[in-house]
Amino acid sequence: MVKIKKTELNEFIEFLMKDYDVYSPADVGKKAAFKKIKSAFEIKHAITNTHLSPKDVFFPQSEVLFQYSDDGLKVPKREEKAIAVWGMRNCDTSSLLMLNKVFGDAHQMPDKDMYKDPYWKMKYDNCLIFNQACNEPLSTCFCNWFEGNPFAKKGADIFVVDTGDHFILEGISDKGKTFLSKYKAGEETTKVDLNKIAKLKETAESYLPDVVDIKPLFNKMNKIWDEPIWEEISAKCINCGACTFVCPTCHCFDVSDEGKGKKGQRIRLWDSCMFQIFTREASGHNPRGLSTQRVRQRIMHKYNYFMDNYEQYLCTGCGRCVQVCPVNLDIREVIKKVLDYKLSKNEEI
Amino acid sequence: MQQLVKKVKEIIKNKEVDVVIGWGRGSLPFSATPIFVETEKDVEKLIFDETCRNNLTTYLTKDKRRISKEYKKIGIIVKGCDSRSVVLYTVENQIKRENVVLIGVPCNGVFEKKKLSQLVEGKEILDFQIDVDNIIIKGRNFEQTHPLKDALCDPCLTCQYPDAPEYDYFIGTPRKDVNVPDAYKMINDFGEKSAEERWAYIQEEYSKCIRCYACRNICPSCYCPECFVDQNDPQWIGKTPEVTDSIIFHLIRNLHVAGRCVDCGACVSACPVDLDLRIMSKKVEKEIKERFDYTAGTDINEKPAMASYCENEKQDFIMG
Repeated sequence: MVKIKKTELNEFIEFLMKDYDVYSPADVGKKAAFKKIKSAFEIKHAITNTHLSPKDVFFPQSEVLFQYSDDGLKVPKREEKAIAVWGMRNCDTSSLLMLNKVFGDAHQMPDKDMYKDPYWKMKYDNCLIFNQACNEPLSTCFCNWFEGNPFAKKGADIFVVDTGDHFILEGISDKGKTFLSKYKAGEETTKVDLNKIAKLKETAESYLPDVVDIKPLFNKMNKIWDEPIWEEISAKCINCGACTFVCPTCHCFDVSDEGKGKKGQRIRLWDSCMFQIFTREASGHNPRGLSTQRVRQRIMHKYNYFMDNYEQYLCTGCGRCVQVCPVNLDIREVIKKVLDYKLSKNEEI
Repeated sequence: MQQLVKKVKEIIKNKEVDVVIGWGRGSLPFSATPIFVETEKDVEKLIFDETCRNNLTTYLTKDKRRISKEYKKIGIIVKGCDSRSVVLYTVENQIKRENVVLIGVPCNGVFEKKKLSQLVEGKEILDFQIDVDNIIIKGRNFEQTHPLKDALCDPCLTCQYPDAPEYDYFIGTPRKDVNVPDAYKMINDFGEKSAEERWAYIQEEYSKCIRCYACRNICPSCYCPECFVDQNDPQWIGKTPEVTDSIIFHLIRNLHVAGRCVDCGACVSACPVDLDLRIMSKKVEKEIKERFDYTAGTDINEKPAMASYCENEKQDFIMG
């Protein structure tokens, strides 16, 4: 473990910047989001959860796949340094593991290498994740429903705890341990520090909501696809994409061509299952023309389809969608509603 | 509140309406949530207070609702701005006035969560209490008192129509004597700045847009079955969150709601990245007011500004 005085954080960040492009929570307008920083002074510390998720560090909202002109095709390559992300909370760190299953792992595909996404991999593969303990979870947080914890270390390369005057860093992965061993300016941690961490963990956990057993959710979802519950859930949804765009795990995208004459580019853009155009076919037919069908898709993808493919739920309980929904469609209430729902066809679960 | 519950119970019992769209308690502090009340039992869930932010009339247009259930007659609880949206729908032939029952409620302004959050420097708010003209905001380790008006939505601070101009039943006492400061002060102040400063501000502001379309979808006046941004043959504008694309989206949307925006501020509250959306919409409103002496949604017998013509209209914008 390495102990760094907060006032000396900039030295550590500068050390980090020798090998990495550093991203961290920072002010973006009136909100906090992850962005590339030039010094430790840009880091926004006094937040629990950024308003926007860090997924766009690895999966940008708009990304050029290739450019074409008379000279042929040009595929962008990453020439900068590898990426390090400071200040990620575990809900976000876990979301990267989920996204990596889709973009980077492709374990279920017959020809694994063929289906790995090079644009994701060139950013994600050599990244260094600083997973910071979440000292003060918000009232909208529910990571504990998904086996998460404010002090969880899963997915971290280096685990960071903010103890007030210091940051205490612990190498978790080999990559993280190797990096930390190179940094010589830190102090030694003491027993007092460890006690402090234990105390902080205890306080953080006390802020979490009661755990809801979500194991039965998957099976229940299998049986309610054509039940009237979806109308009740979706009635107030206005089908904007706010929830999907702030979500750290939503990863649906669209591909768009922009060109004029002999020059142009193909870009990949975030898309949202909430939008009508997401499923509208060239004929004009839309298999998910109703709001109800689209809301069902979002919930089913999170708590059923993803489980089918990757054996876990596609949600980390970060609570961002709960915070931004303009009509207060609270996903925690949706989960509870589905779990409590009595099937109309007398089917036993 | 009791009067409201009583009235809604009555009209549901008499089968005057199939459903009443109102507000219920939300899951977060400072939040109310839209509810669809069909039975007498559910009427008890209705609330009305400063947290009832949403303009519920957005659910009246068919393409927004898109629920398979078809209601013949809809009751809806309306504040001043919400009632103006119903007037708008009527004059634009989107609904038949006789198919909706409007229950007016006296509005003293509604909370803007974003302003509340700024008041307490972004700390999480867990509870609040109103004490005459003040609001006591509570969180985990703090309790602060602020003037109530600092917590209200910007449009509420200059609202000239807190009482529904159009209603079938009115619960409580209308505010009537409304004396408001100059509604266009923010636009005039902004206009004082140089063109470069204004452009810099607009660019900086709209570069934050994430194109989630929450502003468009929550907007009662945005009810096109297919928005121009959703068309891809031809594709009118780029889909990236780059500022050039985003600004075009917002400019066109604002021109499209010119003379139709009721300044309910729903877009501002819905925006997940806190854009200053009223800097555009209020400017357009002011132009319409000055050129056509028209204020959207205030007179059910008046033709919409953009759907009528009179000879003495100012035309200096055509001739330069």
